[in-house]
Amino acid sequence: MITRRDLIKLGGLGLGLVLLPEGFKLVKASENPQIKPHLWASITKDNYLMLLVNKSEMGQGVYTGLSMIVADELDFPWDRVIVKSAPARDVYIDKKMGSQLTGGSTSVRNMYEFLRLLGASVKEMILESASREWKVPKEKLQARMGYVSYANKKVSYGELWEKALKLPIPTQVRLKEPSEFIYIGKGVPRIDTQEKVEGKAIFGIDVRLKDMVYAVVERPPYFGAKVKSVDDSQARQIKDLLDVFTISSGVAVCAKTVEGALKGREKLKVEWTKSPLEGFDDERLSQYYLDMLKKKGVVARKDGNPTLLLENTKRKISAVYLLPYLYHATMEPMACVVDVKEDRCTVYAPVQAQTWTLQTAKSITGLPEDKIEVYTTYLGGGFGRKSNVEFVKEALEISKKLKKPVKLIYTREDDVKSGWYRPMNATHLEGALDEKGRVVALYHKIAVPAVFEWAGRPSRVDRAAVEGIENMFYEIPHVHVEFVKVDLPIPVWFWRSVGSTHNAFTLETFIDRLAHLGKRDPVELRLELLKNHERAKKVIEVVAEKAGWGKRPMYGEAMGLAYHYSFGSHVAQVVEVSLNKNTGEIKVHRVVCAIDIGPLVVHPDLLVSQVESAVIMGLSATLKEKVSFSKNGPSSLNFDTYPILTMAEAPQVEVHIVKSDGPMGGVGEPALPPVAPAVANALLWGYGIQINNLPMAPEVIKSLL
Amino acid sequence: MVELYLNGRHYKVDVEEDTPLLWVIREHIGLTGTKFGCGKGICGACTVLVEENPTRSCITPVGSVKGKRIITIEGIPSYHPVKRAWIELDVPQCGYCQPGQIVEAYALLNKNPRASKEEIISVMSSHLCRCGTYGRILKAIQRAQKLMEVKA
Repeated sequence: MITRRDLIKLGGLGLGLVLLPEGFKLVKASENPQIKPHLWASITKDNYLMLLVNKSEMGQGVYTGLSMIVADELDFPWDRVIVKSAPARDVYIDKKMGSQLTGGSTSVRNMYEFLRLLGASVKEMILESASREWKVPKEKLQARMGYVSYANKKVSYGELWEKALKLPIPTQVRLKEPSEFIYIGKGVPRIDTQEKVEGKAIFGIDVRLKDMVYAVVERPPYFGAKVKSVDDSQARQIKDLLDVFTISSGVAVCAKTVEGALKGREKLKVEWTKSPLEGFDDERLSQYYLDMLKKKGVVARKDGNPTLLLENTKRKISAVYLLPYLYHATMEPMACVVDVKEDRCTVYAPVQAQTWTLQTAKSITGLPEDKIEVYTTYLGGGFGRKSNVEFVKEALEISKKLKKPVKLIYTREDDVKSGWYRPMNATHLEGALDEKGRVVALYHKIAVPAVFEWAGRPSRVDRAAVEGIENMFYEIPHVHVEFVKVDLPIPVWFWRSVGSTHNAFTLETFIDRLAHLGKRDPVELRLELLKNHERAKKVIEVVAEKAGWGKRPMYGEAMGLAYHYSFGSHVAQVVEVSLNKNTGEIKVHRVVCAIDIGPLVVHPDLLVSQVESAVIMGLSATLKEKVSFSKNGPSSLNFDTYPILTMAEAPQVEVHIVKSDGPMGGVGEPALPPVAPAVANALLWGYGIQINNLPMAPEVIKSLL
Repeated sequence: MVELYLNGRHYKVDVEEDTPLLWVIREHIGLTGTKFGCGKGICGACTVLVEENPTRSCITPVGSVKGKRIITIEGIPSYHPVKRAWIELDVPQCGYCQPGQIVEAYALLNKNPRASKEEIISVMSSHLCRCGTYGRILKAIQRAQKLMEVKA
């Protein structure tokens, strides 16, 4: 088992491992390998392998995807693998991110090499242990499916484990050849399915501690307002109510029961200070963003002289896009359980960011790190939202004050009111064609809040603001990319696929409009723009072929295509759409997707389910989602006013995996960005409609016809 | 004190009659498979069966179901074709909405084992899944129908 001393001792050690190109079987570990098997793995006497996984399970299947890599190298039966979440400790930091954090579609990419080495090292130690016991050279032993065997002898890994642990950690291990893989590239059943189907999986909201108190927080109607005065006289009449007090984000109402806390809050009278945002309803916000586009921003990229070219050509188009704030809508609203005591603190939370949680607990409690334990539960959806740990901070403040374990629950309305949306944005695009219909100039200017700055990493050009545009693969001789920072006190955060959610929409719809202007086929035009980028071209070619591009749609009336590169992966999608001209309702029947994440797909079915998931979420945003604002603050506070896609609206999704050489890409996010522009492009070619605003609400579509 | 008959067991719970059934099941009794999602009966995560009818427990006062037969996700046997099909197809992603989905599907197939694809979609569209597992839920229900036929 892991001791706390071990954890602390290992803090800060570098990985120091180099994986050589294929063909080399031996891997040299550095003098200080991070691989301390006992911190990651243990094998019970009755031969169960318990692994600690340092990434959060939020639906993407990461417990399965990461542990199968270890089980493969170790050669261990999958049905005897048990996964637990690793506590927040330096040793579990993802060295490539510098934080214990799940995000950016990086889990398998970042952990793959390490986990293979871990599995191989454990196997080596098991073999060494058997070799010493039987006095047989290691080379003659076989380690297969949890057992070491030689001649007529056979012993389980579990029986060897204790002795194996006392052996030195090997400095050289042999990794399997791909032909020897038992799980990698093939797949295994998801390790979390059973408990999720039985209702036994423990999410943040499910944790129960003895003598636990329930808390809800009353928040300001509008961002930026602070508590002015509190009248809790009526609230305190409620049975079960324990306390009411002000915390950093609002007013905490605490009770012996959850219903008591909720009832108490209903009776609360809070006066708030004036918010600088008062009066900012949808209309005023839209105008604000459009006005910001007129300001001078920071140039993120400049090739040639697009302005000059655009001034001197007739074959050009321009467009102004306005895209809304989006809410993550995790099915589990923010909730966690924390217990702050004098001398220690325990946190059970559904977070994507363990390091940030630990730091937050440190700053609230003033305790040293080794007195703080952070345990990650299952996440009822994450999508980036749960890498923000403000809700844990609130629970810590409340528990510290009450000196009791606290379960903090957000209602759905609290969740929306807490903010941390995908930012709203306005984009101005201009583009020009030459006489042969080639794209020669692209001018792009976006006004958008700086997501990375909200996350504490400010920079001159916010990476999220221009991602997918500034680094696009399209080869256009004259390019201008400009970023205008919008500074409103509406909190924004990472929303699945981040800046690519809006930039893929504006760029990809604009490419089709340029194709339309030049009377070019959008597939052919893209292949021309990407002529030096094989991976990009390939996914477009594959999706066009699989979808029957150029033929009649199978289920809908019109087809649209979009391509986008994000998080290391290339994705192209074709959608089949039909439009009810009487109602303006759009039906998306079929989404065909080609995805290239590189040469290796660890678990193909997990990739497929992530693509299905990203497509549905992307389509939901396309057709339905927008956080609306009234003069008094956000007004889409629940699923009645912030509807998301239902089964009846879900298209059939077909996934085609394209393999190529090159670095491994991500899986969780890259399939989301192309959906919205593909649908818009189908509407352009099929119905002559140009979409500059999302969502594609039926009444808006009708007015465009 | 409210008396409840839940998953074949009797419980006495010290709550007000207007307390939503959801909180009684989850926080007082401790069966946390039934989830809180919206508090307005929209998302379906809190669905339980009351006398075999799918019921949104977040908007059901506990006083209205006294003595009635209530079944939660924990009360559906593991060997039931619906749960087996869900496992076979690895339906859940984050898994949070799945208990509600499974309870709804279980009730649907009990009432109408031969429900058509359209009927399934119509019933299941009252449940939200942010991970977008809709395609697999549909397939799992159709698979459960096959498993039930074999049994019958």
